Amino acid sequence: MSVLEENNKTVERLTEHIGKKDVLEATVPRERRAFVRVPKERLLEAAAFLHDKENLKHVTTITAVDTGEDLQVIYHLRKKDLSLSLKVNTPYDDPKVPSITGVYNGAALYEREVYDLMGVVPEDHPDLRRLILADEWPEGVFPLRKEWDVKSLRKRVDGEEWGRNE
Amino acid sequence: MSEREYIIPIGPQHPALKEPENFLFKVDGEIVVDVEPRIGYNHRGIEKAMESRTYIQNLYIVERVCGICSNAHQTAYTQCVEEVLGMEIPERSKYIRVFVQELERIHSHLLWLGVAAHEIGFDTLFYYIWRDREVVMDLLEMVSGNRCNYAMPTIGGVRRDISKENFPMYHKMLDTLHERTLYYLGVCASEKTILERAAGVGVTSKADAIRLSAAGPTARASGVESDIRKDSPYLIYDEIPFKMYTETGGDVLSNVLVRVNETMEAAKICKWVLDNIPDGPIKEKFSPMSRVPEGEAVSLVEAQRGELIHYLQSRGENKPYRYKIRAPTLGNILTVIEKLKGGYIADIPIVLAGIDPCFSCTDRMVFVDEGKDRMWDMNGDQLRRYGIRWYEK
Amino acid sequence: MSLVTWARTRSPWLIHFNAGACNACDIEVVAALTPRYDIERFGAVIKGTPRHADVMVVSGSVPRKIRDRLKRIYEQMPEPKFVVAVGSCAISGGVFQDCYNVMEGVDKVIPVDAYVPGCPPKPEAILDGVVKLLMSAGY
Repeated sequence: MSVLEENNKTVERLTEHIGKKDVLEATVPRERRAFVRVPKERLLEAAAFLHDKENLKHVTTITAVDTGEDLQVIYHLRKKDLSLSLKVNTPYDDPKVPSITGVYNGAALYEREVYDLMGVVPEDHPDLRRLILADEWPEGVFPLRKEWDVKSLRKRVDGEEWGRNE
Repeated sequence: MSEREYIIPIGPQHPALKEPENFLFKVDGEIVVDVEPRIGYNHRGIEKAMESRTYIQNLYIVERVCGICSNAHQTAYTQCVEEVLGMEIPERSKYIRVFVQELERIHSHLLWLGVAAHEIGFDTLFYYIWRDREVVMDLLEMVSGNRCNYAMPTIGGVRRDISKENFPMYHKMLDTLHERTLYYLGVCASEKTILERAAGVGVTSKADAIRLSAAGPTARASGVESDIRKDSPYLIYDEIPFKMYTETGGDVLSNVLVRVNETMEAAKICKWVLDNIPDGPIKEKFSPMSRVPEGEAVSLVEAQRGELIHYLQSRGENKPYRYKIRAPTLGNILTVIEKLKGGYIADIPIVLAGIDPCFSCTDRMVFVDEGKDRMWDMNGDQLRRYGIRWYEK
Repeated sequence: MSLVTWARTRSPWLIHFNAGACNACDIEVVAALTPRYDIERFGAVIKGTPRHADVMVVSGSVPRKIRDRLKRIYEQMPEPKFVVAVGSCAISGGVFQDCYNVMEGVDKVIPVDAYVPGCPPKPEAILDGVVKLLMSAGY
């Protein structure tokens, strides 16, 4: 079986396990890459399935995207010959997602990073704290969100206009 | 077991190093009990900045995420953008990209080897290695015009060509590098000073390396067969015959052996590229204000320190909507914490250096005796000498 | 020139501080003490502690978190002291201008005496900068 066929089979098995109505998006644009979107309530199940049954034991990183309408959290999981990006969406006013650190121990720091920079709260994370921003950085100001640009961030954090490119 | 717990913050900076970081160590006598990483001293806000710059402007900021892995970042970036564009780059440019990437691997591993030798106190070796490293720096300067931050990959191919008249000289320099690295392999595997400080120190089992999602030479030193060049080949790595090196010890010595072997393998890959490079154009057209169609892509590259991932979401403009970079060292921090726990204070510098961190380790160290409310100072040089003296006893 | 000044300028002790740099400048500073460039022939030695240093060599665009540390290290240096800003980032923020976490240049935090431009500057340029600084200090 070619690599592409293998990847398709993996996505099919995941869809079967989660149930077709809960797999909101599933694409395999090329060999070794897959993108799957599920509702956040099914995240842990999908992650556990991929970890235990499909041998995707490595978490490369976790990305958070401000889509303009909500926050999207993408878990990049990997094994030999497949990098699968598992996406979930969560609303601005309730930005909680289940923490996958129990299944993927290596995700601990990545979840702290999205918490710090995007304000996504991983529930049941064993040690949820800031990771990257300074201690004196104001609470509730998440720099990667689209509501902020560099100028307004400067104004909010440094208290003065500090723009250069207009 | 003593009752007092000391907390040692190991602050940024090191005479030989890189990004500043901070580690808080809880110790019990001479043993490290727990470690807390405090990172973010080098957080510049690059991902946000990339959203307000065009794709060509971003080439130059992506390069400077790390000056030692600069080519790896540029390779990952250009690959990511080219995938969303659906652009296929000319064959010759793929060979040149591999050539520069492997040269950078040689330069980075030799740099690290010298620094690791310095951590153990073996300064003579440090100076020898860095003198020999100048050969690869000269080679890089000849090829690209700069010793660091070469800016060779660009969107659509590479910026500069390599000329055939120089190939005999490049071959000679690569042979020198191979020969010198072979000599250092012999030194590292047999010198008592090194073996004592590196063998059996900072051990991570294969199971732990997989559980904590370690990547790169750190994972390969524990026996995990993970190398993006084999797992998810990019450029022409699926055509090049090269060997992936793993060790089973999981200790600092295994890390050294993996990296030294990789350096020699990289020199071989470079020679293969020079012998097999096809003629042809080196660049596809991509103008500075071009838009990139809507789409997303994940780009994986085996950087010197491990697996590097770039992720792009484009919404059809000439600037990225969201760009994410995860440098390899972040993936190895959890592993290094496991390595440090249960070890001696004297081993801290070498274990930290062992994962080839893209951050700096020691300078200011403050010992806090919580019970007696005393504080006293030790600087980085003193901790290193402390480690050396400790082992001399 | 007094004997003390002569002694001071003939053997400057340097401390290198990485204020959030990408490391390219730092490895060129370290390369400056390796056999090919050999900063020691100028009597310069790189020390690990600010308390013994005459000259601080700083690289990096100064992210927020490191700002206070930079100030503290500067204050720990005994007089007379000099600061050399190495690389475009240390001079003006370099490519990192307009990044929300960057202070854009060392001279926004501590006074600087010499600027060595480049990205990264070659070790010869760094040596040149340090030597020029010493000469202007009364060598």
